Amino acid sequence: MDINSIIPTLLALAWLLPLASFAAILLVGPRMGRAGKYAGYVATGAIVVSCFLSFAALAVWLFNHYPHEAHGGHGYEIVGPISGEWYSLAEFGGLRLTIGYYIDSLTLAMFCMVTLVGACIHVYSFGYMHEELHDVTDPLVTTSDGRPLRRKGRYHRFFQYFSLFCFSMLGLVVAGNAAMVFVFWELVGICSYLLIGFYHERRSASNAGNKAFIVNRVGDFGFIIGLMALWGSLGTFSFGEIFNQVRPVASEHHLIVPGGMSYWLLIVAGLGVFCGCVGKSAQFPLHVWLPDAMEGPTPVSALIHAATMVAAGVYLVGRFFPVFTPEVLLVIAIVGCITLFMAATIAITATDIKRVLAYSTVSQLGYMMLALGLGGWLAGILHLFTHACFKSLLFLCSGSVIHACGTNEMPEMGGLRRKMPITSITMLIGCLAIAGAGIPTMFGLPGFGFSGFHSKDSIMAQGLLFGSSNPGFGMIFFYAALIGAGITSFYMFRLWYMTFAGRPRNEQRYAHAHESPLSMTGPLMVLAVLAIVAAWSLPGTELGLKPLLEQARPLGTAEGAAGGMLLANVTVPSEHLAHEPANAARAEWSSFAVALFGFLLATAFYGLRKLDPADARRTFSPLYKLFYHKWWFDELYGFLFIRQVLRISDWVAAIDKYVIDYLADGSAKVTVIVSRADDWIDRIFVDSAVDLTARWTYSLGIQLRRLQTGNVRQYVMWLAVGLVAMFVLVNLYWNYAMAGG
Amino acid sequence: MFNLQNPEVLRTWMLSLIIFLPAVGALVLCVLPVRGDQCLKRFSLLITFVVFLLTVWAAIPAGGPANFEVGKAGMQCVVQHEWIPSFNIQYYLGLDGISLPLVLLTSFLSVLAMWASWGIDKNVRAYCAFFLLLETGMLGVFLALDFFLFYVFWEVMLLPMYFLIGVWGGPRREYAAIKFFLFTLAGSVLMLIAILVLFYNSDPHTFSITELARIGQMPDSPFSKNELLWGRSVSWWAFVLLFIGFAVKLPSVPIHTWLPDAHVEAPTPISMILAGVLLKMGGYGIIRICYPICPDAGYELAWWVCGLGTVSMVYGALAAMAQKDFKRLVAYSSVSHMGYVLLGIGVWSATAGTSYNTDYWTMGMSGAMFQMIAHGISSAGMFFLVGVVYDRVHHRDLDRFGGLFPKMPVYAGISMIIFFAALGLPGLCGFWGELFVVLGTWSFSKTLAVIAASVVILTAGYILWTIQRVYLGPEYKGPHAEALRPMSLREKYIAVPLVVMAILFGVYPKALFDYVAPSVEKTVVEMKNWTENVAPSLKKVGWDKRSAVPPSAVGNVENVVGQRCARPTLLATADEQEAVQP
Repeated sequence: MDINSIIPTLLALAWLLPLASFAAILLVGPRMGRAGKYAGYVATGAIVVSCFLSFAALAVWLFNHYPHEAHGGHGYEIVGPISGEWYSLAEFGGLRLTIGYYIDSLTLAMFCMVTLVGACIHVYSFGYMHEELHDVTDPLVTTSDGRPLRRKGRYHRFFQYFSLFCFSMLGLVVAGNAAMVFVFWELVGICSYLLIGFYHERRSASNAGNKAFIVNRVGDFGFIIGLMALWGSLGTFSFGEIFNQVRPVASEHHLIVPGGMSYWLLIVAGLGVFCGCVGKSAQFPLHVWLPDAMEGPTPVSALIHAATMVAAGVYLVGRFFPVFTPEVLLVIAIVGCITLFMAATIAITATDIKRVLAYSTVSQLGYMMLALGLGGWLAGILHLFTHACFKSLLFLCSGSVIHACGTNEMPEMGGLRRKMPITSITMLIGCLAIAGAGIPTMFGLPGFGFSGFHSKDSIMAQGLLFGSSNPGFGMIFFYAALIGAGITSFYMFRLWYMTFAGRPRNEQRYAHAHESPLSMTGPLMVLAVLAIVAAWSLPGTELGLKPLLEQARPLGTAEGAAGGMLLANVTVPSEHLAHEPANAARAEWSSFAVALFGFLLATAFYGLRKLDPADARRTFSPLYKLFYHKWWFDELYGFLFIRQVLRISDWVAAIDKYVIDYLADGSAKVTVIVSRADDWIDRIFVDSAVDLTARWTYSLGIQLRRLQTGNVRQYVMWLAVGLVAMFVLVNLYWNYAMAGG
Repeated sequence: MFNLQNPEVLRTWMLSLIIFLPAVGALVLCVLPVRGDQCLKRFSLLITFVVFLLTVWAAIPAGGPANFEVGKAGMQCVVQHEWIPSFNIQYYLGLDGISLPLVLLTSFLSVLAMWASWGIDKNVRAYCAFFLLLETGMLGVFLALDFFLFYVFWEVMLLPMYFLIGVWGGPRREYAAIKFFLFTLAGSVLMLIAILVLFYNSDPHTFSITELARIGQMPDSPFSKNELLWGRSVSWWAFVLLFIGFAVKLPSVPIHTWLPDAHVEAPTPISMILAGVLLKMGGYGIIRICYPICPDAGYELAWWVCGLGTVSMVYGALAAMAQKDFKRLVAYSSVSHMGYVLLGIGVWSATAGTSYNTDYWTMGMSGAMFQMIAHGISSAGMFFLVGVVYDRVHHRDLDRFGGLFPKMPVYAGISMIIFFAALGLPGLCGFWGELFVVLGTWSFSKTLAVIAASVVILTAGYILWTIQRVYLGPEYKGPHAEALRPMSLREKYIAVPLVVMAILFGVYPKALFDYVAPSVEKTVVEMKNWTENVAPSLKKVGWDKRSAVPPSAVGNVENVVGQRCARPTLLATADEQEAVQP
């Protein structure tokens, strides 16, 4: 077997195993051991085997395509994808829709990441969800008799949905065409809906599920428009064919407007697809669903709402990168920039530990979008991977804390590092990784640090390069990202100090707290290692995430692009130039400085308590309110959209009732009235006419009766007269007829 | 005569057997000397099941004489006999890729609906007889190829439905039944007028639908030449009258209000049939009759058709969101979903502007066909599921449910799947129809496509909100909480086939498209040939704008079915494309 068939086969198996697990748990889940205990093993077994298969596929790939430096000395040689079809969904003339695959090193890396992080989180869930193995008392829900709700455990359901999610997510990644992406896009959305609403007895949870799905559908609305623009003019969804048409070999892979399309349509297609990504990756202005999504169990937040599903939007932007015009890229950068800044500000004031992380996720996704929008394909995608590692770690740590304390509120915690050493250390590693801790370029030595250091500093470098390529407005992005990095560092260490440092604020909860079992701390340690090393290459080789991803760089995008039709003076700089030592060092040192500042500030406020947060709150009261109320987005949308839609739907229902039915019933009533009138006319005129006739006939009969005398001679006389009269008549007519003849 | 060894006999009797077996069953039922309702129901179920098996057999592409040949576009299993020779009325039946899926859907849902009728305990004999008669009417409508015969079946189907709603329905059943009857009758009277107009304008006079279509698509067609009223041609009037008749059934806004009332009052199995099958007759009639016979009116009114479809989609979805009654909500969701059907059928994109590319219209129309089948499955399922819970607690107030998930887990799980199918979730049947219709619309009109795409948000809104109110939450809030027992085995047997079909078509839509596509493509290619060859030569009011066709194309009459156009990449720029659209 050659690589072109072995890799798709391996990945197909890795993809379908979670589906098999889903089906098995769906059908016989409750009977898998006591209270469905073995369902967890089935699902975990499936994802672990998937993980091995994915890494096997990656090994096969590397064996065949060891990363080589490109000839120009910049980056690595690009290796084309393996693509093909599994089966056809529908064919209409020249149009074909298929289930297929498009596998390059990005696909493989995503497979490995999703299955590896997924496996860790599955194992973690053994411990975290273990109370679902028996009846659960939910203190947050009171029934009508005033007592907290008692319900059956749903252990197997959790793993069932998890398996469905893994299947959907892998399908999204392996998809060979945009329609298939859309299919799995929706499926991950529904898994997210089901898992956010896992504690569906809580009103807030089911509301959050609805919100997540509907807000995502708003993004999907745009996605569909993008798909229509592509389909209506290119007649294909296949990635390979789309890329060949917009960046043909003939134009040396530069972006052109393919036949049948216009530049505007290309922009619409790009913006449409990006709109879908805005929904899925919780970017401004559709970011509102992600914080609410924290209603789900913490492993869900870690897997779906931090590491994988929300990153799917970034992944898709990376996948569709060749199709984006400079205008679209600029929109992506602006959206990313607004998102990363806004979400970071909200994270400062949040006190729910998971919400801090949720806003942090939104913010980090904003970084990825920003990087992609500025032309930093590798920077954005790399951050996706490193973020998946450290953010899932952070979420799992927070889950461990919540598991121990029974609350999400950080003001109830404090001092937990003594009771939970492993959690506190791994979480510290996560904080360092997300803050981008590392040693910047010094004395000619390249910078070196935690995984977040490498990815975030490539983003900074790209931002700086973009700024210098586009004098005037270009630096805004860099400064926003820089301030964002400072805030990130501040709120992450604030979180750590509030949770683990100092003295316990709630003795009762503290007394109750304990370190989590090995099934939970084990994955923490694995992920902590990943959070450190994810961006490293194996020393002395080219085996690492960066070289691997470079192999998947979309053709023709490395050189950057200068100007579009609408914005002629925007230059999207080449990403390779960002790694020039001068540029990179400047970016690294700037971000190092702000991150350090953020860390010191957090230490001053929450670690050493030299400064009082309450003072700051008072001093910056308007800002604090703005951040605390999440910039009032929920209220704004509730007023602008939800209430209006409900009002319009009431109107529509009323139109049916009071206009259309009124007309229908009215015409029926008119008919009844007309028929009554008809009836009246019948009785007054027609009937009386008939009656009159009858009366006349009757009276005529009475008159004629007099002729009937009973006198035989009179009858004979009339008979004779009649006969004579007849003869006369017949004769007359006979003659007349003869004469006529 | 009944020598089954002779393949010809089998072929000619197959369709008649399918149509009339239920009617014969109804007759037998009337005189069946048994007491005991259960026995009558079982007998009816047996009849519907046999019909189902017959249709399945007809659908299996096994190569037998009465088997359907997949990939063939034209009519199969044709039966053609004189019936009333003085008016040239024929007994003319046939099966193609457009009717076969609908026939299968009808027989399939009839079995399930009959089985769901176990709860009926009033006048069971009459109920079953009417039910079987209804099935004959429905099957006849989908199989008849003679317009007169079609009309007869159309009316045959109407009357049993009236009684089934009016006698076995809910509290306001009489109002609902009369409303249903009058709306449909008004439509069918218009249809009768159109039938007669077409009959008297065809030469020689004929009722044959295929023959009328041939005449309608001819260059110099008498239908387009002859003026009927107010400067409009026969074709225009026939199209409008037929369209109104079918749009009532579909139903399209603003003549849809019979539907919620009829559904709310009808007993559960009748709601299943009503939503699952009867609405499809509207879509079927438009595909089979309106467009092939009156292409020029269809071309002229394409915007109206698509516009109505889009308005129905949005309007139905919004109205559904405001409902408090579970069944009414599902009924309005039907209005919204059937809007897709209208939109998909009407997207006449094979014009000069697209170099007569038929692919997107084929896609739209196939999408509409798929949507009909998918909606048949999901809406019948939804009505059945509403019925299941109504049987237990005897109310449908959406605000007084909640917490059904823990009490009836299997029921809630099945409901989720069926409701997600209605929501258009990929992997379930509702998705492909919607996607293909919307994708197909883009090359006809970008505005309508965008509006149509926006409906996905509203649909998600009302479906998820419903799920939340009914199935989720801590506890059930309405009366008769003690009656909420899990689904019975019979109920599971009815629901599970629907779930299986929903998943099957969701995962492998080609199973259906293989049957549908050739016939749909034939229809679309005929329309395209007409647009290309005949439309430019029509010099009429309102035609000058659209006939921007190179003169070389004029008069080149060539009815090649399956002729395919070049790829869409040949299109001009988007602006030019816009310019030629009506």
